[in-house]
Amino acid sequence: MRSVSDATAGHVGVGWRHAHYAELLERSPTLDFLEVHSENFFADGGAALAVLERGRAQYPVSLHGVGLSLGSAVGLDNWHLDQLARLVQRVDPVRVSDHASFARGRFKGATVHAADLLPIPFSTEALGVLCANVGRVQDRLQRVFMVENLSAYLHWNPFDGERAWIETEFLTTLARRTGCQLLVDVNNIYVNALNAQLRDGVALDPVQSCRDWIDAIPADVVGEIHLAGHCHVSDAHGDIVIDDHGSRVCDAVWDLYRHAIGRFGNVPTLIEWDTDVPSLDVLLDEAWRARTHCTDVLQLLTRPTSQEGRS
Amino acid sequence: MSALARQQQALLDALLAWPSENAMKNIASYVEDTRSRGLKAYQTNGHALAERALAAAYPVLAQIVGDESFADLARALWHAQPPLCGDVACWGGGLAAFVRASAQLKDVPYLGDVARAEWALHQCASAADGAADLQTLALLTTHDPQQLRLQLSPGCAVVRSAWPVASILTAHRDGSPSFEQVGEMLRVACAQDAVVWRCGLRPGVRLAVKGETELLLPLLRGESLAEALDAAHAVDFSQWLPMAVQSGLLLSVRREPEVP
Repeated sequence: MRSVSDATAGHVGVGWRHAHYAELLERSPTLDFLEVHSENFFADGGAALAVLERGRAQYPVSLHGVGLSLGSAVGLDNWHLDQLARLVQRVDPVRVSDHASFARGRFKGATVHAADLLPIPFSTEALGVLCANVGRVQDRLQRVFMVENLSAYLHWNPFDGERAWIETEFLTTLARRTGCQLLVDVNNIYVNALNAQLRDGVALDPVQSCRDWIDAIPADVVGEIHLAGHCHVSDAHGDIVIDDHGSRVCDAVWDLYRHAIGRFGNVPTLIEWDTDVPSLDVLLDEAWRARTHCTDVLQLLTRPTSQEGRS
Repeated sequence: MSALARQQQALLDALLAWPSENAMKNIASYVEDTRSRGLKAYQTNGHALAERALAAAYPVLAQIVGDESFADLARALWHAQPPLCGDVACWGGGLAAFVRASAQLKDVPYLGDVARAEWALHQCASAADGAADLQTLALLTTHDPQQLRLQLSPGCAVVRSAWPVASILTAHRDGSPSFEQVGEMLRVACAQDAVVWRCGLRPGVRLAVKGETELLLPLLRGESLAEALDAAHAVDFSQWLPMAVQSGLLLSVRREPEVP
């Protein structure tokens, strides 16, 4: 059996990376889905695509992109959208997603791609661009797309007289206007809260600010949750928390995950690990933890109260 | 230009311009974090990605120049020729010309050709799959070569070089010839042509056999077998054919539709 289908059982997948291609196919562990980065499979052919097709034969696959550049003022790259559409047709994924970020823009007279998840301002203009681009993606793919909140390492100053949207309001409006879903990365929220604490130097409670963030998102627009590790960097340039996907999920993020499941319900959950990728057993242990937390919260929510039990 | 476009261009300038002093001053007027710690994080990430992406495409060149020089090279190329699309595997094709133009690398004159051959291998790995149809080989005995086209392996390419580029690559990839032998070939500037092809899903590179380059180049241009054989006087086709079939270089033979 590849998946758990109980209504109160967590629906958990892992990021399937090169280091685990062969081992995961061989061991075929119990997982509800595999996630891959879309761009890694844009090739016309070759070994990577062949492996993906074998994985798809065993598991549902979620395509998670890092390069659509949904927030770019210069618009989407037609080539990129073509490749994504071709891949979607090829693997029939359970979900397709990317980030509320930009990477494309003009540089020295050419349109370039910075190959990063660069933050967009929470401005009315950026919201309009994001909505238009997400709408175009959904029209092309003929399916509901998902957009992930970002871990952002800089914050834009609003222009004079410009409305500065709150991130949760910005993302919720995106979902309402376009019909897309939100992919809530709990670790990203926490990383942003830790960096806000470092940046502003005040006694913010990062966990409480994350709970407030989660509470501000309507449950009906959330389609997936991501969990990952992060790292604290302190060097000559200063202190910062980086969403490096290079360690286990920390306790605070597990607590926030439980809060998120309590609020959003049984949403598919992904364990991401992209840097210093550990043994498959460690990754599967993280997936087991996620399933245990999720199932526990769902059972608490559905358990009859003691009074109901007596009546 | 809209406010959003100005913001995004300022950030791209800050991350991609080199040297970046002016761009950093410009971005400071758009962002809250005046300490630029966040910008540094994005710059660092970009450089690390450049090194990983380039090392994936050019593992032999990376071994030749060493980790530190290769990291410098990756960063320099990142700023000089940033990616044009969101698939970072497509980035780095300009490395051959970049190293040829580099004053610091002028004492390693064969690096540009190594880069060309490695880029051909990199592209070969992701070329559209092709299926072998060995029954079609029978067409070789029943039809005039003028009517026949040979379908070669996905990503097949020939890299001509004034240097022993095939031996440099196979020495690093397969351990043969020895580095001592390659050193001697470099000393006498031994010219070699490298054949890049894919056997199933696995890309490979080898030294072209006698006359093979002249045979393959017309075939890769889509010319008929007769035209290829006319150009390749030195090739022994009866020896080349079984070797090409067994190694996966030749997938099938196709008969051109007759012109009425």
